[in-house]
This record gives sequence, structure tokens and C-alpha cells, in this order.
Amino acid sequence: MSYTAKYFPTEPTEPKVLTETIPGPNGQIGIKSLSEVYDTRCTYFLADYEKSIGNYIVDSDGNTLLDVYCQVASIPLGYNNPTLLKVAKSDDMARVMVNRAALGNFAGVDYEKSQRNLLKFAPKGQKYIWNALSGADANELAFKAVFFNYQSKKRGFSNGFTTEEEKSCMENQAPGNPELAVLSFNKAFHGRLFASGSVTRSKPVHKMDMPSFKWPKAEFPSYKYPLDENKDFNDSEDVRCLEIVENFFKTWHCPIACIIVEPIQSEGGDNHASRTFFQGLRDLTLKYGAKLIIDEVQTGCGGTGLMWDHERYELSPPADLVTFSKKMQSAGYFFHDEELVPNMPYRQFNTWCGDQRLMMLSAAICQEIQDEDLLKSISTTGDYLFGELEKLQAKYPTYLAKLRGKGKACFIAFDMPSGTIRDSFLKKMKLAGVNMGGCAELGVRLRPTLTFEVKHAKVLIDAMSKVLSTL
Amino acid sequence: MSTIAEKYYPSEPEKPVIKTAIPGPVSQEMLKQLSGVYDTKASYYVADYYNSIGNYICDADGNMLLDAYCQIASIALGYNNPEILKTTKSDQMSVALANRPALACFPSTDYYKILEEGLLAVAPKGFTRVLTAHTGSDANEMAFKAAFIWQATKKRGDASFTAEELSSVMDNKLPGTSDMVILSFDKGFHGRLFGSLSTTRSKAIHKLDIPAFNWPKAPYPALKYPLEEHEAENRAEEQRCLDAFETIVSQWPGKIAATIIEPVQSEGGDNHASPFFFQGLRDLTTKHGILYIIDEVQTGGGASGKMWLHEHYGISPDIVTFSKKMQNAGFYFKDKEIEGAMPFRQFNTWCGDPSKALIARTICQEIMNNDLLDNTSKVGAYLYSKLEDIQKSYPKLVSNLRGKDRGHFISWTMPNASIRDKFLFICRQNGLNIGACGDESVRLRPTLTFGVKHTDILIDIVSKALSQL
Repeated sequence: MSYTAKYFPTEPTEPKVLTETIPGPNGQIGIKSLSEVYDTRCTYFLADYEKSIGNYIVDSDGNTLLDVYCQVASIPLGYNNPTLLKVAKSDDMARVMVNRAALGNFAGVDYEKSQRNLLKFAPKGQKYIWNALSGADANELAFKAVFFNYQSKKRGFSNGFTTEEEKSCMENQAPGNPELAVLSFNKAFHGRLFASGSVTRSKPVHKMDMPSFKWPKAEFPSYKYPLDENKDFNDSEDVRCLEIVENFFKTWHCPIACIIVEPIQSEGGDNHASRTFFQGLRDLTLKYGAKLIIDEVQTGCGGTGLMWDHERYELSPPADLVTFSKKMQSAGYFFHDEELVPNMPYRQFNTWCGDQRLMMLSAAICQEIQDEDLLKSISTTGDYLFGELEKLQAKYPTYLAKLRGKGKACFIAFDMPSGTIRDSFLKKMKLAGVNMGGCAELGVRLRPTLTFEVKHAKVLIDAMSKVLSTL
Repeated sequence: MSTIAEKYYPSEPEKPVIKTAIPGPVSQEMLKQLSGVYDTKASYYVADYYNSIGNYICDADGNMLLDAYCQIASIALGYNNPEILKTTKSDQMSVALANRPALACFPSTDYYKILEEGLLAVAPKGFTRVLTAHTGSDANEMAFKAAFIWQATKKRGDASFTAEELSSVMDNKLPGTSDMVILSFDKGFHGRLFGSLSTTRSKAIHKLDIPAFNWPKAPYPALKYPLEEHEAENRAEEQRCLDAFETIVSQWPGKIAATIIEPVQSEGGDNHASPFFFQGLRDLTTKHGILYIIDEVQTGGGASGKMWLHEHYGISPDIVTFSKKMQNAGFYFKDKEIEGAMPFRQFNTWCGDPSKALIARTICQEIMNNDLLDNTSKVGAYLYSKLEDIQKSYPKLVSNLRGKDRGHFISWTMPNASIRDKFLFICRQNGLNIGACGDESVRLRPTLTFGVKHTDILIDIVSKALSQL
């Protein structure tokens, strides 16, 4: 019996669209009320989460849509998953919510268990975890860990600060606040706060008008598809991009303390790269005394058929830090070098230092993925889906191009000829019963749950075929 | 008549129960184990939240401490509050936890009601809109982003982005990126991410080794106590700081987008200023077209006897940020233009967390329904008068008692950090969990259900500890 048949017996077998527009009349009224107190300009529809089930999201008009966008890639096991509901209703959950602890100061008696339950699912080679509240937060805390480490290497791990450092940092000046850089890649997305915003290079609208750090932007490989027909070009693309990175290490006006990179650039258009490229980054960071941060915020937690997508590259030695959020529900970073914990307390610190309720959900999600073999089933679905999409691409070569994500479960994307056509396609897909998301200027990305099965893939392909024939 | 603590917590202990040194043997062993997977250098002891109740925190050794620190000022109503427990066990909560939405894209059908009945029901006067965030740092940085977008939009007018802006911004270069700044205050604390940390000026340990923006810092008044004996001097000090603020504004080479200030600087030492100073800042920011952000992360949520401490000053800022006791973070604003002219600029995956908005709603309703602000004002006045007596008895150890008429948002200064730390240690051993702030201060951050009987116990332990110094 499939996972959804077993755990979502009432999941619909097909979408149901009742209104001529989405949002329908109820949705429009609800959005209008909400807009009195909250910015709703990004709102697609109001969701009725009580009624949503499995891979189907229900809106306030009763429309039931197959969801392959899933809260911007952040629903791991489907709506109202019984295992997560059970955790949510547990006494332990109530206790951590009603008494939210300042975990750095007053961890509770059950906190070690929460830490260890999560660490069971750490990427290969990682031993520790530091918890955060969002992907941007996780990435910035990872930067802080790297900067603390970089400076402590210079002064000796256990050595204290100079008076000049202590004084100058209160003025936001060196040497207390040194000029150090994080290298990121063209089209990367790592969040929208000020340091994470500085390494994000996806779209101007993500960055415009924000003060930013003068940090270098290298190039991410831009491959030709299909991959097996363009091997030579793509290999030389890796070489070119690695040379650019090395050149930055040699010439940037200040030290580059780390590189941050997504295993698949997601917001930036689902751009993939090869093992050669990632191992090349690993080698360069070692050569130049920098750390390598892998940002698994969108790719992590099983969506690509591996728990952590970068594990497929078998980096040697392992990455220094791996950040996560989204499907994990909690956020933070994994690491293995003890010296990434600062030498003194209250340096990597804040009031809550994470949220145990989210850590408990995280651990339950990972455990369920393991117990129910969901990486295997999502990979099977992905292989089927990719095959069907190849057929659609062959049938509609003017509309579908650069189909990518083969062998990476349902972490699949393709490009359309223009932003306008893509946006109209996504709109029509909603009315055809599928909630679907874009990425970058031309891309469409599939981000279903790990409980997405061949039967769901068939519904998706049917709807796509119908809509493509009307474009 | 029963007190609110008696109503909520019939089984709350009458007084602290001390069985071991703190941390005791069980805590020590657990911390040792925990340190294998977690940085415990800042841990005081391991707490047993199952057995904590009301104003008492229980530790792993079964010690029950009266808590006047409350998870760094973030427990509003006490441990295991029955009303919050009800909320955590509701179906609405389990649905919120099991289906966490991307709130800006797919808000839940009930989100409007949750905000309206909760966070917005206690919004500062005139504030009608809210943006939800994840932490205090996040809330402050989102407020900065709002300020940068708002200022740039004003400058740009109806024009769309230029080709040069669109390309330069991708390289973190002008004109697409911004050289505008946020002006903060000496000793201010606004969080520890890169933008918020650039405005934090509390302690070197918060800032060392982290790249920072070259943003300006204004002086914050250093008032003399008791206030009523130093009125003229303090007024002059506040005027000096206002003048210095205006000098920075007129001399800074770039545009100052916003200023951020706490109504009482908390981490930085519980530094207060008067309505005159805060109104002066309002006047100067209006005059120079600067947004006025009040950071109520630590001061908000009722501990001052008003929901928002800045309401004591009668001022009207542009943005008010919150977190901690509210359990949900974010900021309030009045002017829709703060949202910027385009969608997806102030945006992230989750934009908050409905499970926290639900808890915030319960906290807000409990505060309103049980007159907890009034309770806090009364208990705070009693506590302050008792501490005045203590200050008289121990003039060498206790000075600059501050927080009069600010509920129990009270603090005092001790001669130096080592005496202060020893004092806190002795208090803990005697059953009072209490916290520090600034270089040599002690801050009280109890819950809103802290009553007269808790005050008497606190005063007893404080006196005892002082007598042992």
C-alpha cells in the first residue's frame, strides 16, 4: 500500500475547481479583510489548512488543488500528516510551547534528546548542530561562526581580544569589526536579511535599495541541456567558473573567509552543477584557508531523493557547514569542527537560540522519511515524472526547454519562452487544479511533498497537457 | 480576593524550595552530557519545565526558584499557564503546526482573526498594521528594510528602477545598493544579525570579529539618580544628546533612513530617558525626514504597566518592533506606504509562524481580560518602594535604582561586575533566579502575574544576599 493510501485515505483522487477564478468570491472577501491589517499583495489565495490533505491544498472557496509548490518548497510530508499531527498534539509539544526556553541559558531536561534526535539525520561527516529560526537566520549564523573562527585562528583559539579590538568594534570599525568577505555565486539565493541579502544574487527585487557588503560574486556553471549531449561544453564551464573563484581568492581586497553555495540554485532558476564543480570548490577553500558552507535550505530534507542533496557529490573532506530550513521546519546549521563553536560564551547567542517545537517537528519528519522509505518512493515518482515531462518537452518544444533534475527525484524544473507565458501558464494551471510555482525569469519548478506518488504525477501531467494545448 | 497567580496557579509554591547547590549534581551531570552535542558555556542549570509553575522555575535537581529573569524577559504570564496550555492543545494549534504556511502567499483563512484578536488588539495607539517575523533581530532588520525601501521610494518618486540600478545592485554596488544608514545609540541593543548587530552598541562581546556597516552612533542620556534631585542636570544631559543627534544628522555624509532606540535600553544596562528626550527625537526625526523606530522587544508586552513602554512618553513613532514576551516577533506601523510600492520586496518563505500568532493572541487576551497591566503597575510600585528601602540600607552596594512608575521594569547598579555577579550567584543559591544587564547592573524581569507575595520573597532574598556581600 502506498504511503498516501495508508496515511491519507481521504485524499482526493483529482483536483476540484469550483470557481471561475482563484481566488474565488470567498477568497476575495477574505483577502480584502486581511489586507486591512497585513500586506496581501503576494497572496495567491487563502488556504483552509484544516481541510487540506496530503498533496491537496483546499482554498477558502473549496477549490482543491494538487500542490506541487507546497508553501515555497516547505511542506515535507503533506498537509495534515497524521504523524506530525500526533507530535503537534503531544504533551511534550504543549510543554515546549507554553514554556519557551532561552535554550542557551536554561535548556530543559529533555533538550539533549531533541538535539540528538536531530543529529541522527545530520549530513555525512557532520557532528554538531546549531539551531536558528529561518533560512536567512541559519545562513547568517553560519557566517558568524565562520568569522569568529577565522579571527580566532589568527589570534590563537583561546587568546583574548586586544583593547584596540574591543574599542574599535563599538564604533563598527576594524580591527574589532574586520573586513572579511563571503563569496557567493551569480543567481544564488541565501535569504533577505543584510548579510544573507549581500550574498543573494538572484533578482534585483530581492536586493534593491538595501545596504550591502562589498563581497565577491563568482559565476555558477551555466550548462547546456540535455547534459549527456553537451559534456565537453559543460566540463569547460566547470573549469571556467572554478578559475573565476580562484582568481577572487588571489585578488579580492580583503580575505574571503568562506564560500556559500546551493547544491542546486533554486530561486535563481534551478541551476545544477557537477561533482567536479563542487569538489573544485572544496579544494579551493582548503587551499586558501576558507570554509565551505553548503546551503541546503531548499534542496535539503529529501526533495532530491537524498536526505541532503550535496551528499551525492561525496565531497572530501566534507563541507564545513551545512545550513537548512524549509521542509525541516526548524532551521540551523550542521558542522563538524569543534572550533566552529566560539571560544567564549555569549558570542554565538540570542534569546531563544532556536525553537524546540520546530526541532521536535524536524526530528519527526526525518524519522518518518527514514521509517517509510520516502526517499526511495519520491525517487521512483521522480523517474516516472521526468520521463513524462521529456515526452511533453518533445511534444511542445517551443514551450518547454532545458528540462532539468534528472535522477534528482521530483526536484525538477524547466524553462518557458518568456516570463509572460510562464506566468500565464502558472495561472491556467491553478484553474486546471494544480498549484505550481515559478523560479527566476523563465523557470517553472516542481516542489511537491515527499509523499508525491505516480498517481499524483499523472494528475499533474494531465493538467499540464491540457493547459499547454491552450497556450 | 485571590490574586491572578492564585487563580492561574493554585499549586504554585509558597516560597522557593532549595535542595542542592545550583547547579546541583543532576544538572551538572546533564550539562556534561548535553555539552557533547551543544554549547553549554552560557548554561546556568538544566530546567525542568514540566514541574515549573507560575513564577517558579524548577531545575533538574528539584529546586524551585522564584524567577525574576524569565528566559531573558520572555515569559509573559508564568510557566505552564493554563490558558496558553489550552491554546497549545487546541485543534487550531495542531493544524497550524502540521501545516506551516508561507503566510504572504497562502495565508490561512483564520489568520486575519488571529491577528485582529491578538497582536492588533494591543497595538500601540494609532497603529493599524503588522508585519510578522521570527525573532527580535529579524523584526528590527525587517523594519530597517522597510525604512530603506520607503526612503528610496520617496527619492525615486514614480520612476521605475533605472537600468543602472538594476545591474549595479546585483554586484552590491551603488546606485542599486544603498549607502543610507540607520542611526542607533550608544549602549543600544537591537539584535545580533549583521544589520541589527551594526546598530547594537551594548558590549564588545556582542560585536567582535563580525563585519559591520559603517553606521553612526549617537549618545544616549546618562541620567543621575534619584531623578527628582537632578532635574536640571538631567534635562541638560538630554538636551546635549539631542543636540549631538542633530549634529550627526546634519554632518553625516549620506542619508539617515531611520533611527532605532529602545524606550529603556535593556541589555545595555536599563538606561532610561524622559518623555522630553523621546519627544525631542520625534521632533528631530520629523524635521529631517527620518523614520522613528521604537524597539520594544524587551520593554513591550506589559512589564512596564503599559503594553508598550513608549506609551509612558506620549510619543508617536513610525514603527514599533516586538518579540520576547509576545512570543511572536514583528513590527507595527500606521502608514501603508511603509510596505513599499511593490510586492515581494519585504518577503520571505514563512513571514512569521501562525503557531506563535496563536500563542500571542492568548497572551494579549489574558493581559486585557485580567487587568494584568494594572496588576503590574501596582505590584511594581510596591516593589520599587521596598527597593528604595534597601537602597537606603545598602548605599554602597545598591545605587541608581531606576524604573519608578514603570511597573516592575526595575533595575539598579552595583559597585562592579564581580560584586554584581557574586550577588546574582548568592540569590540563585537562595532560590531567586535573577539576571544582569550592562556592566554592573541587576535587572528585574518577572512575569505579569508577579504579585505582592512574590515581591516580599524577592526582597527577603535580595536583603539576605546583600548582607552576605
